[in-house]
Amino acid sequence: MVECRSLIPDEHRLIIHGMVDRPLIFTMDDLKRFPSVSEIRFLECPANGGMEWKAPQMEGLQFTHGMLSCCEWTGVRLSTLLAEVGVKPEGKWILAEGADGAAMTRSIPMDKALDDAIVVYAQNGEALRGEQGYPIRLMNPGWEGNTSIKWLRRLEVGDQPYYQREETSKYTDLLPDGRARKFSFEQECNSVITSPCPEVPLKKKGWYEFEGIAWSGKGKIKGVDISFDGGVTWRPAPIKGIVIEKCLTRFSYMYNWQGEPLLIQSRAWDETGYVQPTFKQLRAIRGGNSIYHRNAIHTWKVHSDGSVQNAQLA
Amino acid sequence: MRNLHNINQTRKTKIKAMKPFKLLLTSTLLVLAGCSQTSNQEASGPQVESGATSQNNLPATYSIGKPVAAEVIAGWDIDVRPDGMGLPEGSGSVEDGETLFEDKCSMCHGSFGEGVDAWPKLAGGADTLTEARPEKTIGSFWPYASTLWDYIHRAMPFPAPQSLSADETYAITAYVLYLNDIVEDDFVLSKANFTSIEMPNKDGFYVDDRPDTNNTRCMKDCKDATSIKVILGPKYSLGNTEAVTKSAETKTEHPGRSIYEGVCKVCHGSGVAGAPKLDDAEQWASRISKGNDVLYSSALEGLNAMPAKGGRTDLSDEAVKQAVDFMLHQINQ
Ligand code: HEC
Ligand code: HEC
Repeated sequence: MVECRSLIPDEHRLIIHGMVDRPLIFTMDDLKRFPSVSEIRFLECPANGGMEWKAPQMEGLQFTHGMLSCCEWTGVRLSTLLAEVGVKPEGKWILAEGADGAAMTRSIPMDKALDDAIVVYAQNGEALRGEQGYPIRLMNPGWEGNTSIKWLRRLEVGDQPYYQREETSKYTDLLPDGRARKFSFEQECNSVITSPCPEVPLKKKGWYEFEGIAWSGKGKIKGVDISFDGGVTWRPAPIKGIVIEKCLTRFSYMYNWQGEPLLIQSRAWDETGYVQPTFKQLRAIRGGNSIYHRNAIHTWKVHSDGSVQNAQLA
Repeated sequence: MRNLHNINQTRKTKIKAMKPFKLLLTSTLLVLAGCSQTSNQEASGPQVESGATSQNNLPATYSIGKPVAAEVIAGWDIDVRPDGMGLPEGSGSVEDGETLFEDKCSMCHGSFGEGVDAWPKLAGGADTLTEARPEKTIGSFWPYASTLWDYIHRAMPFPAPQSLSADETYAITAYVLYLNDIVEDDFVLSKANFTSIEMPNKDGFYVDDRPDTNNTRCMKDCKDATSIKVILGPKYSLGNTEAVTKSAETKTEHPGRSIYEGVCKVCHGSGVAGAPKLDDAEQWASRISKGNDVLYSSALEGLNAMPAKGGRTDLSDEAVKQAVDFMLHQINQ
């Protein structure tokens, strides 16, 4: 049963085994002796926005884009732990398993494990919350949240993926030809305007700071454009504050609203050059049944009374 | 400035593994130092450039953690792979699987895997993957039978995961395969013949090949404004205060609520397995008359289809009693 269980940190263990030279078992105290890293990274469910493939169905921002967060995560690089056990040359995949009732599992490619994956024990400077995987979880920056296994208890190194339920039945993307993408780990570049939005309407005429957030699982946000006319004309929206890779990035644009109806949109691009697609472009390729990874340019309709409504453009 | 930029870059790569706060701090200081370079070197305080950015005497490994013996690993290692790695010795027939499935699974998934109410379907949906409403089931979608064995063993039955023996799991897996027309009714699934099972959709997957779109940054006249058709979603209902107050009220929680929600509700919420439903006071009247102690002990030790502690034997007696109290509290309301 997938529910949050209370694990006792003194009793919790992480075991790393499989195609390794020295299978090891770690206590929490052990893990905290390794050099630590602290990184601010977003975490997003790949089904964020997944209800909207066929039509705009959600009332507000919280439901179109709410399965997203950004925190400081502290823990040990998985690469540090893998050096400790000594991965054999044939070791290409790692099965990560949680200590929840359903013992949730995902297969993680070795490249990611050696790149920036972290076994984390703290979030925003405090111990992980129960719901967040206390006492430890895996953190795969920029990847679909489901791969960041909570209540982590076991890592098995193997020469091939394990094809678990959460990477076959779920978290695969069914496409119009009836075939499905597997191991679609990355959360591609995305953005949304957070003010105004249905929850934050415009109350009277005049100047407003239109604001939003952008993020990319591939690295840094390079820029964001904003449109007020449904994508006919675009203007660059200044980035605010610090730009960190795989981290929510703020943008804003001052706008003098005089009661005209608007179709507002934001379009982000990242350091790989990838530009967030229109919903039309995305749907033309993916159809309406792929559930996950809907990172299309989002539209809010601003009515002349200042109220804001979820919308899609055909 | 160009030089400074370069220094910055090398530093960033060097300390990539360090905390981003440190990294930011370092770069900011460098920029500041850069600005003041021509004016006053001395006043700029401790030079960051002279501080260590990485430690050069670290060992290859830290010798932290204890070696773990193969027998211990075996107790943890429950996964099964498509090539059969991880399958334990054992076997089970479709026939035995049918009885087990009826007993342990059908209340949610239906006797034929058709799914009761909103519980997942486990069969059907053949050739629907290209349709407007595809039905992704084990038979129509899953690429490997090993996933089925692994998941049933690991996560099902929902109220009592990891309670099935190897033989039971072989039998139930065989039955679910039979429900999907993948094996015949006299089939016996075993470790030996497992990898001979071929799933209908085994070739239906390919590795992520995104990006699959290539939008560009068009800035003006990107489309014909008159061609835009707007499809509106539901209106946002601000001021839905009733719902807000209600959820705020339930926040002053009964201590047994979370266990009830997490463990007991799967059955007592919907009446699965013949469990008395929480909102059906009539069904509870005669039970309540037995007295709290009897109800506690039924919940702790189990009663017919009611598993001990709702299947979660790791729960403390106290927690289960609190869940019973919560249920009685709800029934009496
Ligand atoms: C109390 C209800 C309940 C019972 C009893 C139950 N299941 Fe499930 N089953 C579920 C739920 C809920 C899910 C979905 C879980 C999730 O998505 O995390 C599920 C998922 C599954 C899946 C995956 C379906 C898919 O398409 O991904 C299989 C296979 C399965 N169950 C088999 C079984 C078997 C076999 C049994 C009996 C041994 C069983 N279940 C007993 C509720 C139940
Ligand atoms: C797998 C389904 C299932 C789960 C999970 C479950 N129950 Fe039950 N429960 C039943 C069934 C079925 C009965 C009726 C048993 C009978 O009378 O034959 C029952 C009966 C009861 C009764 C009445 C006992 C009596 O003596 O009449 C209590 C109290 C109860 N459950 C409490 C709980 C609590 C508390 C939990 C969670 C910790 C829980 N149940 C979880 C299926 C379940």
